[in-house]
Amino acid sequence: MAQTVPFGISAPSAERASSIAHSAPIPWFVWSGIVSVSSICFGLYWDISWHMTIGRDTFWTPAHLLIQFGGILAAVTCTYLIFSTTFSHDPAVQSSSVKVWGFRGPLGAFLTAWGGVTMVTSAPFDNWWHNSFGLDVEILSPPHVVLGWGILGVGIGYLVLVVSAKNRATGAVRAKLTWLFLYLAGLSLMLHMILISEYSDSNLMHSAVFYRVVMLGTPLLIMGYAIASQHKWGATIVSAIYMAVMLAGLWGIPLFAAQPKLGPVYTNVTHMVPMGFPVLLIFPAIAFDLVRARLAGRNKWLLALVAGTAYLVTLIVIQWPFGSFMISPPARNWFFGTIYFPYQEPVSMHQLAYQFRKYEPTHAAFWLGLGLAWIYAFLSTRIGIVFGGWLLRVRR
Amino acid sequence: MRTNRIAWLAVAMLIAVPLAAHVGSPDVFFQGDAGPYQLVVSIRTPQMIPGVAEIQIRSSAPGVRQIKIVPLYIVGEGSKYPPPPDVLLPSKDDPQFFSGKLWLMASGSWQVRIEADGDAGSGTIAVPVPAAARNTMPMQKSLGALLAGLMVLLVAGIVSIVGAARREGQLQPGEQAGPAQKRAARIVMAGAFVIVAALLAGGAFWWKSAAATLSDRMIYKAPELFVSLVPGDQMILHIGDSKWHTRRPETVATPLMPDHGHMMHLFLIRTPQLDRFYHLHPVPDKGAVFLDDLPPIAAGHYQVFADIVRVSGFPDTLTAEIDIRETVGKPLSGDDSTVTAAPISADSQNAKDARASLISSLSDGMRMIWERAPGPLPANQLLWFKFRVEGANGKPVKSLEPYMGMAGHAEFVRSDLSVFAHVHPDGSVPMAAVQLADATLPAKLGAPEASNSPAKPEMNMPGMAMGPIGPEVSFPYGFPKPGVYRIFVQVKYNGRVETGVFDAEVK
Repeated sequence: MAQTVPFGISAPSAERASSIAHSAPIPWFVWSGIVSVSSICFGLYWDISWHMTIGRDTFWTPAHLLIQFGGILAAVTCTYLIFSTTFSHDPAVQSSSVKVWGFRGPLGAFLTAWGGVTMVTSAPFDNWWHNSFGLDVEILSPPHVVLGWGILGVGIGYLVLVVSAKNRATGAVRAKLTWLFLYLAGLSLMLHMILISEYSDSNLMHSAVFYRVVMLGTPLLIMGYAIASQHKWGATIVSAIYMAVMLAGLWGIPLFAAQPKLGPVYTNVTHMVPMGFPVLLIFPAIAFDLVRARLAGRNKWLLALVAGTAYLVTLIVIQWPFGSFMISPPARNWFFGTIYFPYQEPVSMHQLAYQFRKYEPTHAAFWLGLGLAWIYAFLSTRIGIVFGGWLLRVRR
Repeated sequence: MRTNRIAWLAVAMLIAVPLAAHVGSPDVFFQGDAGPYQLVVSIRTPQMIPGVAEIQIRSSAPGVRQIKIVPLYIVGEGSKYPPPPDVLLPSKDDPQFFSGKLWLMASGSWQVRIEADGDAGSGTIAVPVPAAARNTMPMQKSLGALLAGLMVLLVAGIVSIVGAARREGQLQPGEQAGPAQKRAARIVMAGAFVIVAALLAGGAFWWKSAAATLSDRMIYKAPELFVSLVPGDQMILHIGDSKWHTRRPETVATPLMPDHGHMMHLFLIRTPQLDRFYHLHPVPDKGAVFLDDLPPIAAGHYQVFADIVRVSGFPDTLTAEIDIRETVGKPLSGDDSTVTAAPISADSQNAKDARASLISSLSDGMRMIWERAPGPLPANQLLWFKFRVEGANGKPVKSLEPYMGMAGHAEFVRSDLSVFAHVHPDGSVPMAAVQLADATLPAKLGAPEASNSPAKPEMNMPGMAMGPIGPEVSFPYGFPKPGVYRIFVQVKYNGRVETGVFDAEVK
């Protein structure tokens, strides 16, 4: 039965919903999700660039406002969805929801609301942390991780909202929802890659830690999204979206003039500093998609083993020589972006970006690290298969 | 005899007790001329770095329209590119008063460049600000309760959402959850709870470890000072290592430089009465060792304060304690000085009477008068401490002489030794740091005498008293907390260092 049950839109019955499935518009909350998650992601990128260029600033920077706008839009959307569903007299709406603490609403709305509350919770925690241990000493602090979980909640919540709508839809609407889902999935992959960016610098690409950190969560997300999208090239598209957004930032944001607001200024920055060139995830993703197609319907553990291994091997084959290129003089231009340094980076340290860091002290530690990366790739892919299968079955 | 000496040495081996940075007095008080304007500056540094300092500036005369402030390091790579200045505007109630906030993003040897613009043109002055994190803040109970409540809500929320996802999330619209789904949901919720609890436990462990690491990395610790006495009444002072310093090689862990012509200013104060005071100047030996041929010193337990300044302008006050048996020593010479005073008493009526005394006897019938109204003084407020020196005839002396290049030196010591500050008429920062910062001003960089060399600090410092001084000397300072303080005021007259001793009750 093909149908799209439009939450928050008066739908007299499931039959009627079924009859309009092919011509039904994309549900409004999907567009809200696209705007909300885009705001949070672009705001976060802008905010990181702001910190690298201008430094600590007031709460009311445009980058912060963009993130907050995304959060508020998500909160308003989900509150409305939950309350309108809870108090709706339409059995079609009620019967397409889940029940949490007496409230009824789409599953994704509850997840997004949870993410919103978690984001809000991180604010006083982060404020105390700053007062106690200094301002933004590092990205991976406990309150920032709480914020990360909150953003993850909002992101996954919207993904569930969209994927459940997609799973219920057919025809052109389903195709459109698939693409919107892939777009959101690409942004969520971008968030994940930003979180691990401290370990994905070019000068770590010849260290096992780079591959270990990438394998920890990336195959899980990409496999999950690829399965849920039911698109032949799902993993490739999601990875391409991540890379496209990061490249747009790399090439676009330095066009804007800016200067540090706070000392000590170690590098004389005159324009917005972008994040680095994205990890070339599109190549292992192609391998992922090819293996998925070849092993469709086969044992899931086998799929995880082969796909995970293919993912890691392809990444090493591509990224290892690319790392050598990235630290070489030909990469020192606007295109590859190894010319940009945050204002906090002393000029005397710039040369470190052009040398490989020996993260593992011994060969044994390096090979042990790569072995761990392989185990992570396998397990992460296997969990991704479970995650994708669950996303595919979500109907509410 | 030999046995006695060994025993004595054993007793004399110090117990080094490092106290907090600047020994409890971290705020900066400074006065100086920004071109045509005389400014008095107080900077309240934050507990934690990075953090926000509060700055207050008063112009001694009207006519200043606006003041711009720029914080930057005194030396090193971080001193090359000043960020855009913040503009301070005059207070509506008091047009000669300016205030604002100042971001100090890292510990180290900072300067604040202050540019004043007004009717008489513009002028710039550099104020050194040694920045170091002092304390972490415990979480307030109310905030802890709020966060704990939110945590419970979020844990219950995510477990319930996971349960709902398993129970109903995969059902077709209209389909009802059966017993199998409900049972599976309960199992999934239990599993989710275990996972969330494990994540929280891991998070708590990480939080604790991250907080401990940050505290260790951020909070200032003075290098340890090991003090011992050897036969011949010589004191050996060995400066130990400090990880806090070595982590900051550019702006903190730099070699030492002289301040007022001496690499170290050593203060020995007999405790608990604070009735003997010695201001000595040990000389550097090999490595981080200083030696001092002690003058005659009365027996007792002494608190040691050793002021040093690094070529970055960053000062340290090192502390230790030592028991000293009466020394014969060598006569005082050079800039060394001492004074004997009545015991300080923290809370008796006699102490109150003593504190009410604004007159301190000096040698040869001279005396020093503290020009102030009687009564307690406020804490956490910039105050001016003005002293007049009178001859035996009761008339002000004609002119004091520079003592180590300054009109005077004042040491403020809290009765429990938790505060120690060495202050000059120009303020609380070392004059060597003032000179370093001054030499980096754009107007001075082109001047022939401002070379790359860090300093000739003993001579021609900004604010140094080079000519006649008059009978009075004054110091800007603010007590960091209430209590009973003893103030040692040191001036030079007729080639002799005179030290006045005053007690103050601070509320």
